[in-house]
Amino acid sequence: MKLIQTIKLLAFLIPLGAFSQQVVTGTVTDAGTGTPIPGVNVVIKGTTQGTSTDFDGNFQMEAENGTVLQFSYIGFTTQEVAVSGTTMNVSLQEDTEQLEEVVVIGYGAVSQKDVTGAVDQVTAEDFNKGPIVSAQQLIQGKVAGVSISSGGGAPGEGQNIIIRGQGSLSLSSNPLYVVDGIPLADGNIGGSRNPLNFINPNDIESMTVLKDASATAIYGARAANGVIMITTKKGKGREFKFNYAATTTVYDPTDFVEVMNADQFRSIIQNSGDDAAISRLGNSDTNWQDEIYRQAIGFDHNFSTTGNIKGFMPVRASLGYTDQSGILKGDNFTRTTGSINLRPMLFDGHLKIELNGRGSYTENAFGNRDAIGAAVDFDPTQSIYDPNSPFANYFTWLNAQGAQNSLAPTNPVALVDLKDDTAEVRHLIANAKVDYQLHFFPDLTATVNVGIDKSDSNGRTILPIEMPSSQNDWNGSLATYSNKSTNKLFDAYLTYTKDINEVHSINAVAGYSYQSFEFDNDSYDSEAEEDGNDFIFIDRWESVLLSYFGRLNYSFDDRYLFTATLRADASSKLNPDDRWGYFPSFAFAWNINNEQFLENSQVISNLKIRLGYGEIGNVSGLGDYLYLTRYTQSQSNANYQLGSGFYQTYRPEAYNENLRWEVGNTLNAGIDFGLFNNRISGSVNAYIKKTEDLISLVTVDPFTNFSNAIDKNIGDMENKGIEFEINATPVQTEDFTWNVGYNISFNDNELTNLPDEVEVGGINGGTGNSIQLHKEGYAPYSFWVYKQVYDDQNRPIEGAVVDRNGDNQINNADRYLYKDPFADIIMGFNTSVNYKNWDLSVATRANLGNYAYNNMASSKTYGLRSRENSILTNLHTDYFNTGFNTLTEVNLQSDYYVQDASFFKVDNITLGYTLRDFIDDDLSVRLYGSVQNVLTITDYDGLDPEIYGGIDNNFYPRPRSFVFGVNLDF
Amino acid sequence: MKKTYKIILSLVITGAVFTSCHDDLNVDPTIDPDSFTEENVFATAEDAKGALAKLYASLALTGQAGPAGQPDITGIDEGTSQYSRMLFNLNELTTDNAVVGWGDPGLPNLHEMNWDASNDFSAAMYYRLAQEVSFCNSFIENAAQLTENTEVATYIGEARFLRAFAYFNLIDFYGDVPLVTAVSTDLPVQNTRTEIFQFVEAELLEIQDLLKESQANEYGRVDRVAAWALLSKLYLNAEVWTGEQLYTEAITYANKVIQSSYSINTTDANQSGSAYDELFLADNNSNGAQNEFIFALNFDGNQSRTYGGTTFLIHAAIGGSMDPAVYGVNGGWGGTRTTSALVSKFDSSVSDRDADGYPVAWNDGRAMFHTDGQTYEINTIANTFTDGYAVSKFKNVDSQGNAGSDTGGEFTDTDLPLIRLAEIYLTYAEAVLRGGAGGDVNTAAGLINQLRTRAYGNSSGNISVSDLTLGFILDERARELYWEGQRRTDLIRYGYFTGASYLWPFKGGVKNGTSVDSYRVLFPLPSNILSINSNLTQNTGY
Repeated sequence: MKLIQTIKLLAFLIPLGAFSQQVVTGTVTDAGTGTPIPGVNVVIKGTTQGTSTDFDGNFQMEAENGTVLQFSYIGFTTQEVAVSGTTMNVSLQEDTEQLEEVVVIGYGAVSQKDVTGAVDQVTAEDFNKGPIVSAQQLIQGKVAGVSISSGGGAPGEGQNIIIRGQGSLSLSSNPLYVVDGIPLADGNIGGSRNPLNFINPNDIESMTVLKDASATAIYGARAANGVIMITTKKGKGREFKFNYAATTTVYDPTDFVEVMNADQFRSIIQNSGDDAAISRLGNSDTNWQDEIYRQAIGFDHNFSTTGNIKGFMPVRASLGYTDQSGILKGDNFTRTTGSINLRPMLFDGHLKIELNGRGSYTENAFGNRDAIGAAVDFDPTQSIYDPNSPFANYFTWLNAQGAQNSLAPTNPVALVDLKDDTAEVRHLIANAKVDYQLHFFPDLTATVNVGIDKSDSNGRTILPIEMPSSQNDWNGSLATYSNKSTNKLFDAYLTYTKDINEVHSINAVAGYSYQSFEFDNDSYDSEAEEDGNDFIFIDRWESVLLSYFGRLNYSFDDRYLFTATLRADASSKLNPDDRWGYFPSFAFAWNINNEQFLENSQVISNLKIRLGYGEIGNVSGLGDYLYLTRYTQSQSNANYQLGSGFYQTYRPEAYNENLRWEVGNTLNAGIDFGLFNNRISGSVNAYIKKTEDLISLVTVDPFTNFSNAIDKNIGDMENKGIEFEINATPVQTEDFTWNVGYNISFNDNELTNLPDEVEVGGINGGTGNSIQLHKEGYAPYSFWVYKQVYDDQNRPIEGAVVDRNGDNQINNADRYLYKDPFADIIMGFNTSVNYKNWDLSVATRANLGNYAYNNMASSKTYGLRSRENSILTNLHTDYFNTGFNTLTEVNLQSDYYVQDASFFKVDNITLGYTLRDFIDDDLSVRLYGSVQNVLTITDYDGLDPEIYGGIDNNFYPRPRSFVFGVNLDF
Repeated sequence: MKKTYKIILSLVITGAVFTSCHDDLNVDPTIDPDSFTEENVFATAEDAKGALAKLYASLALTGQAGPAGQPDITGIDEGTSQYSRMLFNLNELTTDNAVVGWGDPGLPNLHEMNWDASNDFSAAMYYRLAQEVSFCNSFIENAAQLTENTEVATYIGEARFLRAFAYFNLIDFYGDVPLVTAVSTDLPVQNTRTEIFQFVEAELLEIQDLLKESQANEYGRVDRVAAWALLSKLYLNAEVWTGEQLYTEAITYANKVIQSSYSINTTDANQSGSAYDELFLADNNSNGAQNEFIFALNFDGNQSRTYGGTTFLIHAAIGGSMDPAVYGVNGGWGGTRTTSALVSKFDSSVSDRDADGYPVAWNDGRAMFHTDGQTYEINTIANTFTDGYAVSKFKNVDSQGNAGSDTGGEFTDTDLPLIRLAEIYLTYAEAVLRGGAGGDVNTAAGLINQLRTRAYGNSSGNISVSDLTLGFILDERARELYWEGQRRTDLIRYGYFTGASYLWPFKGGVKNGTSVDSYRVLFPLPSNILSINSNLTQNTGY
């Protein structure tokens, strides 16, 4: 054995001797800790010959005496050492400059000091804590000018994000999400609750919000509402490390809509004198809301590992599993996520490859939200079950044929028990990014990024025959659907970086981007298999976005920074003549702290003034093909009979040949500051954004088109505001650290030009009523209401509203615009304290000046309605305040129901304890408990003042949740 | 150097790839199987028939998905945007014939007669009719390339009839509107009511020979009798609309209709004692009623679904103690009732009264009221279905008593006549009494007695020539045609719609009725249209 090994070794050494070189061996260590570093590149200077250190930091290579070896590794300063002898032990210094925070800005990254736009980056350590399922929640309340609110309390619920106020009317107001360089398609596919549900929040390293146009301009046409760049965690370090995190959460319904209890309702009906109604009263006392909500439980497990394969391939992989139930019975969300990130580096770092793969599989069981309204409506004197009911003994308001009265609400318990509404969503997002730093021209790097973002879903809704129905032939129903969305990306760009005399620094990027979006939605709907009324719908569309972009960053002496960006975008949604839009931006920044007079300041560690201007186009959310004349064929239940045959009809569709880009022009001025070695840091921004050629769905004369409304470039809107944020560490000792963060933003939206008034904001009550209006001179979505008249006891008088134009008639001409749903002031305040092994954090938020229309009160409060249609319908307790009897347009649209919904919320309190070096020194354990949705202070009468869009109708209550979590690092 | 070449070469290749990607911007909508281009739709006469069907369907249905989902009109609840439902709202709800208890936007304003220029229903009706004009204009232009096919020439004649019908409605509701006869995105100018009247007249005269012979077309498609019938209606209203009396012409074209092959239904297929109710049953396309229908909207419980049409007329009228099964549907919407003013038009035929003296049965078979649990007079309109008699005229059961084809009981089969022969009889009589030449009162009385004989099931209700007055004819029109979308136009012709010469319950929003300003004989042009087209002038008063 030994002989063979010796021969092999000799055979190995012979050629070395033949080239008269010596073998140099050595170990590379970290100068700070003394531990060996694997994966260090060791190269003979001026050549491509080299090797890298092994797992123990050892290397071995041939090199002549006197040649210079370069030792390089990410995060460390490169060292050059001349060979002398056969043993070389080298220690590398950590590169403090490189550790400085790097901010992702799109097609590149810059260090914090070089940022010229309004950019906020929140990294993992500052994320909100607790059982967060939706990625957006990580930064709720953390960034000035960014309003994030959930659509409701369902698990995995969609999140509404508005950056610097409502930016558009017809178009999407969502920011662009860019995940590891892949801009996602706008919107969501059927069966999914939230477009970011495919990302496990534990995989996110940082979220960067690009707020002003000079920062977002590089994303051109998709960035009009700001950009949220999500950077996932990457492989790092030299050794494999593991993390396991788990939480268990209990969700508790906290509050219900205030309706009459059985006794209150019974006495109202008994006092009505309506014998038929009195005879319908039951003998029970049922709190229907109590019956459809429950305490729910959620579990979350995450496992991740990060390390380095063979010294040249940093890797991170993660697995996550979430199982969360909703407080509405039947609501459940389970998600499995997996991700892998590989970053091999080849040819001495000239070729960097980054491979990301991220997949999720989500199973949704949707609780039946129809029950939310039904539980408010349903007569509390009836019992849940009735042995005489033909519908599986669920109490049902029946008509003479034994079917359900067609105007009656359905038994809420039957709704939650019997409806089976499930969907599975598969989402895969993968990209390969290659950076090649040209060997013969190292200042230039060519990058190609190819990505795919693919999701598909299958869903079904089954209503069994037991579900109460008014259809005579009710036999149950089945509806199924499958949706597919494919978004392909190809980016190619060149980056030129040059420092001249350490004074002039240039970074230029030029490139091309191609993105296509394809959607294919199929659905099948059968009322019952045998009655022949089954329908198959197929809906397919696609769009393409093509762009050229360039950006030049120039910095003079680290004091004066200039950025210029130009992006040319073409969208398939616009006609060929107006398809290309050219969007420039400019920014200037002055690092005052690098001036001589501040260089030695003990107080001011950072002071920067920024000024930026940019133009951004927008068509996201716009329908496809609107510039083309096209015909839509009718579906099989909208055919028309001519003679004995039924004909599918062809309808010419409304078109607008003149659709152009909606263009937002933003001017932003800001100051960034840092005091006392950045113990206190913050920024102030003031902005004004004028959106021109605002696209809105407005009236078109149907004599001149094929509909009465088309999307048209019609108006102008102005958003302006001021943002301030500050982060401070008032106390920092070895055992005790206290951090405080506060932000406040003021925003004002106004439609400065809109020739047409547009009614929006459909409400419940009557058929087709709406409560909001877009009108010139007002904020979009302002409430459009009648002015209520009150008696001397300050009770509203039914039907008495102010005849504002004095024509002795009450009609739309007497409605006025009163308040809007957007907060004038948004604040976030959070603080954390670390004492020895303990940590405590609190996150709070406040919105001021946001109004909500209490549609639950306005639509369910009428005395006569309670005994209409041969049934009994429960009343909202607001009836005690109003005594209103009839549901009329005037009552419904009274300003009485528009209420101040300002609030202060304590979102989260978390207390944790960390056991470092537990059992052995490679294991650390953190245990924590957390309460979410702790407290709400508001004057608003409805369930929850935080109502996105301002119309409070059948809102899924946000639960209070209690979390216990454990986090292991080993 | 070699490397440089490689780089340049690869840049050239990439550039070529990028440029070819520019073609991807020209996306094709027909990847969607329901989406078509003009070339597809007007490829053959058979394909074009689908486009013709849309011209009819846009009066009967509300969009390309039934009952709702791809609406033709936006900004209003889709079901309420259906033509005949809005016709009911604008022409019946504004009169003594009907009230509704719902709080839909702008709906209570109609009976109260205080609607404004942004009223949802008067606006949506304008949109629906103007859109029908655009659909017809587009069809007429595109189908012109297929005219070597004689069937397509008939299609074009029908499209021109439907366009004339839309304009007939437009001048009835709004007076001066733009006359647009070709597809164009240019903002139109306003024409006078007289100019449009003349256009409608000229079109109908011109197409009468393009259209098929009496009853030679398929059921649901119009023939030349429809053109004559619409002409007679146009001439009857000429004095109101243009100031010119054209009663002689009204008689001329009413006569052509009366002498055509259309006939009053006299088959009492369900043995109810009168052959009147057959006109409003689920099988009215085959039980004999179809011979009376000159222009009707076709509905089908499975294939032609809408929340308007007869589905609305039937469901909305059911509430209180009414049994939906009797009407062939699964439930009532508890909304529409009538006032005592209509019920009292039948006073001379009351056959039974309740303990309080209110009528509960009539010899005239047209008095189709549900009185059980309903009050004769109305105290509260909103949310109180039991105030006012319910109307049981429309049903989704056939002559054998079987419910319509939608086994779910939601959507009805009952077709809805927009012009039927009985109306033309009344037009003839009125034109004679208003002094038109070419007719006589004896013939008029004979025609009316045909209707009354059918209504009573015998001749006990017949009148003599001396009973025949203009006032009688107005009341007879109410009895014969109530809830069929005629009442407002009739009251205007008699000068009763506004002012105080005729009051009915809750006219002007007051329980006993009050005078209403005369400008309300016209509906306003939609305020949204005025704000985008400065060529238009709003009607006086709005």
